[in-house]
Amino acid sequence: MKLSYREEAGVAILEPKGKIMGGPDATLLHDQLHEFIKQNKLKVVIDLSGVDWMNSTGLGILISGLTTLRNNKGELKLANVTEKIHSLLTITKLITVFDAHDSVEEALRSFQ
Amino acid sequence: MSATDSPKTYQLVVPSVPDRVTEVDDFLESRLRDAGINEEIIADVAIAVTEIVNNAIDHGNAGDPNKMVRVSVVLAADVLKIEVTDEGGGFDPDAVASPLAEENLLREVGRGIFIVRHLMDTVVVDAGVGRGTTVRITKKLDPPVSS
Repeated sequence: MKLSYREEAGVAILEPKGKIMGGPDATLLHDQLHEFIKQNKLKVVIDLSGVDWMNSTGLGILISGLTTLRNNKGELKLANVTEKIHSLLTITKLITVFDAHDSVEEALRSFQ
Repeated sequence: MSATDSPKTYQLVVPSVPDRVTEVDDFLESRLRDAGINEEIIADVAIAVTEIVNNAIDHGNAGDPNKMVRVSVVLAADVLKIEVTDEGGGFDPDAVASPLAEENLLREVGRGIFIVRHLMDTVVVDAGVGRGTTVRITKKLDPPVSS
């Protein structure tokens, strides 16, 4: 997995690419989310358009980001959830806990 | 592969180091892709096998790099069979709390075997004290197209 990020309208947008399966991927994404919190960047969108698939390790990282941001009065939103990841979110019922949007722009508007 | 081809077998052994899960994924995906398996099935199998290997490394072998994880693959025309074996103390899948229970929804772990069962056609967990855990999964493949 490769990870980049940018900022737009005061929101940090994380752009992971590839597969999120554990090992080094887990540390990279987890650490970046927690770095945002340290820097008081508490509005975060994860753009999943470039993620081929993830396993439960990836889901765990998303949950960690969600709960840590919430505990710090922040918000995490998902954008461009692919069909494969949407299927996993649905069968695990996690679709009910994440705020998922069809595009980054829509996710950004939802913060306003 | 065609219906008349003999099943192909592959094996990989990795030490229990978390980063090695990517090696297992590369090994598996490249062989399935070479065999012409469709990408949807490759993704399902890759998710399932990386789940099982992560469990074997982190829980079964407790991250001990001296303990190995063995992955065996049998690829026939109509079915894919995979075994993952660790050297740990055994694992009871029925002891895992339901990840769908309201109180567990925000737990960061505990969904692996649930997801494997959803994605694969059969899942058998064979575990016993002192002999490690072997997880056997199968996935039906589309019938080969006649040429």
